[in-house]
Amino acid sequence: MLANSAISQDAYQAGSEKIRGRFERSHDGQAAIRERSDVTDSLLAELWNQFSTGSPDRICVAALGGYGRRALFPCSDVDVLFLHESALSEDAQRRVIPRVSQALWDLHLRVSPTTRSLAECGKLHRDNLEFNISLLDCRYLCGEADLFEKLRLQVIPKMVAREALELQQRLIDLTSARHTKYGHTIFHLEPNIKDCPGGLRDYQVACWLSLISELEKTGAWPAPENLLPSALRAECGAALDFLSAVRCFLHYRQGRDLNNLTYELQSEAAAAGIGLPGGVAATAAVWMRTYFRHVRSIYRLTVLFDEVPPGRSGLYRLFENRKSRLSNADFSVVEGRVFLRQLSSVKDPSILFGLFEFVGRHGLKLTAETERCVEAALPSLREWAHDSPEVWSYFRQILMSPHAGAALRAMHRLGVLVLLFPEFQAVDSLVIRDYYHRYTVDEHSLVAIENIHALRTPDSEIERRFRDILEGLERPDLLFLALLFHDVGKGMPSDDHVAASLQASASVLERLRLDPAERETVVFLIANHLRMSATTRRQDIFDVNVVAEFSECVGTTERLKMLTLLTYTDVKSVNPEALTPWKAEMLWQLYAAAFNHLSRSVDDQRLTSSATNSERIKEVVAAAGEPDARHITSFLEGFPKRYLLMHTPGEIVTHCRMYDSLKVKDEEPQIEVLRRDGYFELVLLTLDCPGLFSHVVGTLSSWGMNILKAEAFANKAGVVLDTFRFSDRFRTLELNPSEISRLKRKLAEAVSGEINVVDLMETKFKPGVQNPKVKIETSVQADNSCSQHSTLLEIIAQDRPGLLYDISSTMAELGCNIEVAIIDTQGQTATDVFHVTCAGAKLDPRHQEKVRTALLAQL
Amino acid sequence: MTKLEAIIQPSRFEAVKEVLAELGVEGMTISDVRGHGRQKGHTEVYRGREYTVDLVPKIKLEMVLADNLVNAAVDAIVQSAGTGKIGDGKIFLSKVDEAIRIRNHERGVAAL
Repeated sequence: MLANSAISQDAYQAGSEKIRGRFERSHDGQAAIRERSDVTDSLLAELWNQFSTGSPDRICVAALGGYGRRALFPCSDVDVLFLHESALSEDAQRRVIPRVSQALWDLHLRVSPTTRSLAECGKLHRDNLEFNISLLDCRYLCGEADLFEKLRLQVIPKMVAREALELQQRLIDLTSARHTKYGHTIFHLEPNIKDCPGGLRDYQVACWLSLISELEKTGAWPAPENLLPSALRAECGAALDFLSAVRCFLHYRQGRDLNNLTYELQSEAAAAGIGLPGGVAATAAVWMRTYFRHVRSIYRLTVLFDEVPPGRSGLYRLFENRKSRLSNADFSVVEGRVFLRQLSSVKDPSILFGLFEFVGRHGLKLTAETERCVEAALPSLREWAHDSPEVWSYFRQILMSPHAGAALRAMHRLGVLVLLFPEFQAVDSLVIRDYYHRYTVDEHSLVAIENIHALRTPDSEIERRFRDILEGLERPDLLFLALLFHDVGKGMPSDDHVAASLQASASVLERLRLDPAERETVVFLIANHLRMSATTRRQDIFDVNVVAEFSECVGTTERLKMLTLLTYTDVKSVNPEALTPWKAEMLWQLYAAAFNHLSRSVDDQRLTSSATNSERIKEVVAAAGEPDARHITSFLEGFPKRYLLMHTPGEIVTHCRMYDSLKVKDEEPQIEVLRRDGYFELVLLTLDCPGLFSHVVGTLSSWGMNILKAEAFANKAGVVLDTFRFSDRFRTLELNPSEISRLKRKLAEAVSGEINVVDLMETKFKPGVQNPKVKIETSVQADNSCSQHSTLLEIIAQDRPGLLYDISSTMAELGCNIEVAIIDTQGQTATDVFHVTCAGAKLDPRHQEKVRTALLAQL
Repeated sequence: MTKLEAIIQPSRFEAVKEVLAELGVEGMTISDVRGHGRQKGHTEVYRGREYTVDLVPKIKLEMVLADNLVNAAVDAIVQSAGTGKIGDGKIFLSKVDEAIRIRNHERGVAAL
């Protein structure tokens, strides 16, 4: 300890105590760090005067880094530069500089002294780039002022002009390594407010990049307040104020340069109202919401980091440059970032949505300029967004794109998502504070959509199983939409977030103009999004009654698939470790058990006349506009319950009208062929007859149609309702709409036996080129235990044109009557489930084996 | 002191946790585990493919108790985890020589 420094020590400690006292009253972090810099300045000047007297050397003392910026946090390092021009004397090296440093250490200041010549300051220190960067914040303290002038006005600008690109690239590389360490996300349960993405360091990196760029261009030092883009300045300034207050709080509270906002300290900061207007206390959840909003503002600055040409490997650049080929008439792609060809073009909704779909399809980033244009265009889109029938068709393309998470995150960041769906604002940065939910509610929903898309490139066997489920989904867009809004109720004043989410999403679905069946699916998923998880956790999933009860609630295999995937991703997106292999396995086992239950019990689960009170039938009766339900129930009686769940009330009423016509028109088969989005649908209602299913399938196949899905049900009156979904391989119906009538005529003739379908298949059927990418092994399973009165045949085979005809005609030849058929195609796998009888009874074991052998030989 | 390890059905976990809390059992370690006893596994068929469920999911509870609590804890677990079916689980008891709380060096029952 140096006796002469006693006055300095007392003054410094008294000054520090006053600053702390003022901070504890005002919580003004920016003032505290400025004042601490000033106190340290006075101390250093005093020490320098004391120890440098009589020294022959010309030395200047400068502050670097945070201290140079007058932002000295209570326990931060004090970076000091001892700058000289010519070689230093032994006196300076052994006496002056060490004594100043020692005196600072004795005051418990973590001083980090650096002695450099002007020439050394003008070089790029590749092994110590932090020194070059810290020079960007240099500030004169005491000593030879002309040396500092040379440093600031000549040496640094020259060094920056010469090395700007490398400085920027290395700065980006350091930032990228830091972000990698924190998983490239602002969302951490106990964030480091300095180093995490969106932390104070990112703010500073943005300032440095801008400063380097200005120095390089003009050779002059820009004003510090003009370093950030004007559009982001106010938000980032507020975030800087908040984080400065929080960092001061953390330093004072812990007495060390520790910047981790631990769970306990979050509660303390919230109770003290640190960083909040007026210093009013808040709950920890509300306080953390404020934290995330501020950090998100700073994280937005990282878009500026992408403006720096990357100093990456040749291979990486080659990969990025390949993306440039994606450029089109509206957007150009350079180094993986999207530029607008015309800046005002995003005022056109089709281009705005096209931009995000483009991002989602190719996994690109937007440039800072593109982001500014999008934000500027938003006010003109407000009216359109609230009342346009096109929103859903645009939005679903984004949801379906492989990088939908990135696209939606960009939309949310720029305010587009909330413009479209004001309901989403309720969960903006909303924190669920239970040390389990890592993400805010809005981020959780986006991560959930991201995790579903990530299943397309599975990393494990269990992920492959869930991927297979995803690939078999008919309407993944509805699942993604449900995911986006499943938790939106958490931001609403309700104890039941599921009910609140349903209420909020009702208006969304209304505005998106979804049809009733689509709405029903989304509502079902949101309403039941906790059910499957609760079943695996609280009930014995190996108990057949539990599986049956769960399956009854779900109703159909399509809904089951969607609910399984929703549950999978909902759990997985709580935090990266939440979905353990154990939980994933449990979920999959419940899925498999319920799937088997639904597909095997369909024949036994029939509608009876006593079902007239069910809600669903009431809806159908209402849709039909008939006061008497008996007409409807007599049509429905005997159909599997699945029928009621697979069709909307409107469709069921249409089928009922066809049933009326069948009776009126002398039992003439009733046939409808409807054009849907990307496929055709055939509805056939007729009296049952041997080989009926095979005749219809043969006629469609001979016309070149590829059957994707089909269902065949019969009611108690012996009326068969077959629905087929098929693609038009040769675009016959698409190019010649009049052919639809001819196809209907041919189908009627095939059903009534006027034409021979066997001949038709032999003469007209074109099998197409067989070149399967994946080989699917054929399997035929027969089971007499699934139904009380029919035999279940489950057939898995490689899909190909004509497959279903081969199966159904073989079964017809062997005397099998199809009671129920459920035909599904998933990728190149055909999964066909038939409930069959022979002379009104189950197939005996010999008959089963005969059918099995014949089918295996045929397929 | 006695170490109690219980392997139970996942569906019974909430009920077991509740009765243990009522007894005053303050700390325990929970793990998601898979295994089989005499119950062994079974084969399921999904979409034509067979898969064997040879290890079934279970929850493992571990706790060290003062000896006067052990019988009550065992009874409580047996009552709340039992369904009477194969696969209800097992409880293992073993003697513990010493317990030390790392924070303040307390030893014995005080450290539990």
